[in-house]
Amino acid sequence: MKIAFLALFALSCLAQNEQDISSGKALFRSNCAFCHGLTAAGGRGPSLISPRLVHNTNDADLTAIIKNGIAGTTMPSFESLQADDVEHLIHYIRTLAGSEVKSAIITGDPAHGQQVYASSGCANCHRIGNQGSVYGPELSRIGAARSVDYLKQSIIEPNADIPTEYEGVTAVLKDGAKVKGVRVNEDTFSVQIRKPDQTFALFDKAELKQIVPETQSLMPAYKRLPAKDLNDLIGYLETLRGGVSAGKDADKAKGIH
Amino acid sequence: MKKLLPVFLLPLFTLCAQVTPERLNNAQSEPNNWLTYWGDYSAIRHRNLKQITSDNVQNLRLDWIYQTGETGAFETMPLVVDGVMYITAPKGIAIALDAKSGRQLWQYKHSFPPDRKLSGVNRGMAIAGDRLFMVTPDSNVVALEAKTGRLIWQVEMAPYKAGTHYGSLAPLVIHDKVLVGISGGEQGVRGFIDAYDAATGKRAWRFWTVPLKGEPGGDTWMGDSAMRGGGPAWMTGTYDPKLNLTYWGVGNPGPDLFGEVRKGDNLYSCSLVALDPDTGKLKWHFQFTPHDLHDWDAEETPMLLDIEWRGKPRKVVMQANRNAFFYILDRETGEFLTGRPFARQTWAKGLDDKGRPQLLPGATPTAEGVRVCPGLAGATNWMAPSYNPDTRLFYFAVREQCDVFYAEPPVYTAGKAYWGSVFRGATDEKEWGLLKAYEPLTGKTAWEFRYQKAPWAGTLSTAGNLIFAGDEDGYLMAFNAQTGKNLWKMNTGARLVTSPMTYEIAGRQYVTMPSGGALLTFALPH
Repeated sequence: MKIAFLALFALSCLAQNEQDISSGKALFRSNCAFCHGLTAAGGRGPSLISPRLVHNTNDADLTAIIKNGIAGTTMPSFESLQADDVEHLIHYIRTLAGSEVKSAIITGDPAHGQQVYASSGCANCHRIGNQGSVYGPELSRIGAARSVDYLKQSIIEPNADIPTEYEGVTAVLKDGAKVKGVRVNEDTFSVQIRKPDQTFALFDKAELKQIVPETQSLMPAYKRLPAKDLNDLIGYLETLRGGVSAGKDADKAKGIH
Repeated sequence: MKKLLPVFLLPLFTLCAQVTPERLNNAQSEPNNWLTYWGDYSAIRHRNLKQITSDNVQNLRLDWIYQTGETGAFETMPLVVDGVMYITAPKGIAIALDAKSGRQLWQYKHSFPPDRKLSGVNRGMAIAGDRLFMVTPDSNVVALEAKTGRLIWQVEMAPYKAGTHYGSLAPLVIHDKVLVGISGGEQGVRGFIDAYDAATGKRAWRFWTVPLKGEPGGDTWMGDSAMRGGGPAWMTGTYDPKLNLTYWGVGNPGPDLFGEVRKGDNLYSCSLVALDPDTGKLKWHFQFTPHDLHDWDAEETPMLLDIEWRGKPRKVVMQANRNAFFYILDRETGEFLTGRPFARQTWAKGLDDKGRPQLLPGATPTAEGVRVCPGLAGATNWMAPSYNPDTRLFYFAVREQCDVFYAEPPVYTAGKAYWGSVFRGATDEKEWGLLKAYEPLTGKTAWEFRYQKAPWAGTLSTAGNLIFAGDEDGYLMAFNAQTGKNLWKMNTGARLVTSPMTYEIAGRQYVTMPSGGALLTFALPH
C-alpha cells in the first residue's frame, strides 16, 4: 500500500516534471526562439547548447539573466515572466544540454584569423576593445553574442540580417549632394546619420530633397574570402568574449556573474 | 421652470464649480471648459474656440509646465471647470491646478494597503456637482471634494487580488450615477460595467459584459469559459441625453490568442453595447469582431453624431475599430449602416450586409506563428479621434503595423496573464503611422500625414480650422483642418500617449498635452 502510494507519488512527480518541460518549451518557442533559434542552437543570439557560455549558468544566474537582460547586449529583460514560468524555461533549457542538435564546430586558427581580420580591413568599420571604428557594430564580445553559423552568414551574406540600429540611409540634400551612413535615429521630422568617418550628420527632413533607406547592408559581402581564411576569421571572432567591462559591472550589480 | 440666480451670487456660484446635469448635457456650449473625459458626452472633440487659428498657430508657445514627478505612462485627460484643471497621474494620484498658471491647488494620493502594487495608468476623472470621481489601480472608485481633494467615499469594484482586475479609465457621470468599467482583459477576469450612486457610493447596477449560461448570449461561450472570458470595459463610454442611452466599447475575449477553449462568438466581447444609464439594461449590441483572436477589442471611441444618411437625418454612432474597419451604426437601434477598411488588413474579405466580417484563411494564430495585419495593437486604438462639423471630416490616428501571432493552449492561474501565447512585430517591414482626415460617409481619405512610427496619441479639432495631434516621437503638431498642411510642431521629449485638449480663461485659449511626467500647456504670446 505504502509502496504503491510512493510509486504513484513518483509517477505524478514525473508527470509534473514533463508538464513543466513542455510548458518551458512553449515559453521558449514564443519568447526565446526568435533570437536563439527554434532548436536553441543559436541565431542572432548565442547557442544555448554550446558549453562555451560567458555567464555562469546556475539557476540563480539564469533567472537573473532572463529577468534583467544583459547590459551591453541585445538580450532584453523578460521581467513580465512569472517566477514559475522562468523555472519551467530553465528546466527546458537544461534538457537541451544533451540534445542531438549541435551548432557548427569551430576548427579555425584564431592567430591566422586575426591576421585575416587585419588584412581584410575589418577595423575600418568595427571595433575590438579600443581599436578600430565605431561606424559598424562593436565586436569585442561577438563570439559570446552570436553563433558560429550567424557569424559566417554575416561575413559572406551581410544582407541576411541587418540589425535595426545599423541600417543604412542616404540623405539627398536640395542641391543633390548625398550623405550616406548608419541611421542612428529617424523621427517624423528629422534624421540623424553616423558617417563612415565616425561623425554625426543631423538633418531636418524639410531641408532634404529625399531620404533613401538602404535596402542592402552597409557592410560589403566577403564572398571571395578563401574558405580557410573565412574559417580562421570565424575562429578568431569566436575567441572574442569579453572586454565590455562596464557591461560586466552592470551585470554584477544585477547579480549576474 | 428655470430658477434665476441673483447677480451678486454668480461669482460664488462659479467658485463652487457646481457642475449640474444640465451643464454636462450642454457641454458643447461651454467651449471654454472641458467637463467630461471627452469634453462633452458625444466625444466629437471639436471645440468652438478660435483665438488660435490656422493663421497664427505658428506663434504658439509653451506657457507653463506642471511636473507630476511620477514615472509611468501619463495618459490623463484633464478636466477644466471654471478656471480649475483636474488631472490624474499614475499610482492613484489626483491633482487640482490653477488652469491659467499651472500652480497646484491640492493633491490627493490614494491610500493603498501595504500588499498592493502601486503602479498603473489612469486616464482622468469625471465631475458632477462639487465632486470628482476617479478609479484606482486597485479597483476602487473614489469620490473627492472638488474644492479640497478630500475623500468623500470609496468603494471597491472588485475584491483586490494582484494580477487580476484593475481600474484605469475616467468615469462617466450620468444623472446621479457614476459609471465605470473594469480593466484586466489579459488577466482572465470577467468584465463588467458598474454604476454607483454619486451621493453615497452605493452600487446601483452592474452589467456583466460576458453573459453566463442561461443568460441571453451565454450560449456564445464554450463550457465555463465565460468565467474567464475577459471582455473588460477599460475606456469611458459616451451618452445621448435625448435617447437616454450610454454607449460602451467592450474588450477582447480571453485567452487572447487561443480560441479553442472558448469556441463561439463570445458575446459581448469586441462589441458596442447601448445601455440604459438608470438601470444598466441592455438596449442593443453590435459585435465588430466575433470570436476575436488578435486582441482587437472595441475600446475605441464610440462617437455620436447626427448626420444625413441617404437623404434622411439619422442619429448614428461611429467607430474606427482596432480591427481596421470604420463603422457607422444607427444609435437608436444598433442597425449596421456601413463599414469599410481604413487601413491595411489581411484578415477579412469584407463585411456582410449585417456587418459581420467575412474571414480570410490564414489569420488564426498558430504554434509556428502567422503574420496578420493589423498587429495586436490594431489599426487604431483607444486614442481619441475628433470630428469637425465644418469640414465634415473624422480625424484619427492610424497604426500601420503587422504582427506574427502565436498560439499555445494556456493554463489559467489566478493572478497570472491569460494570453494563450504571444505576438511579435513583423520584421519584414517597419511600422509607420498616419494622421488621417477621413470622410465617414464615403470612406475617402481627404488628406493624410505620415508619422515615422505607429502612434498612441489622438487628435483634437478646433473652430480655428486646426487639428492638433501627437506622435510616437514626442511631437505635438497642428495641422490645417482643410488641407492637412503641418503648420506648427514642438518636440516634447517623450512619446505622446493621450490626446490634446483645449480650454479658454479670460479670453486666452490654451492647448494642453501630457508628455513624460509633465503636463505642457501652450498659448499664444500675450
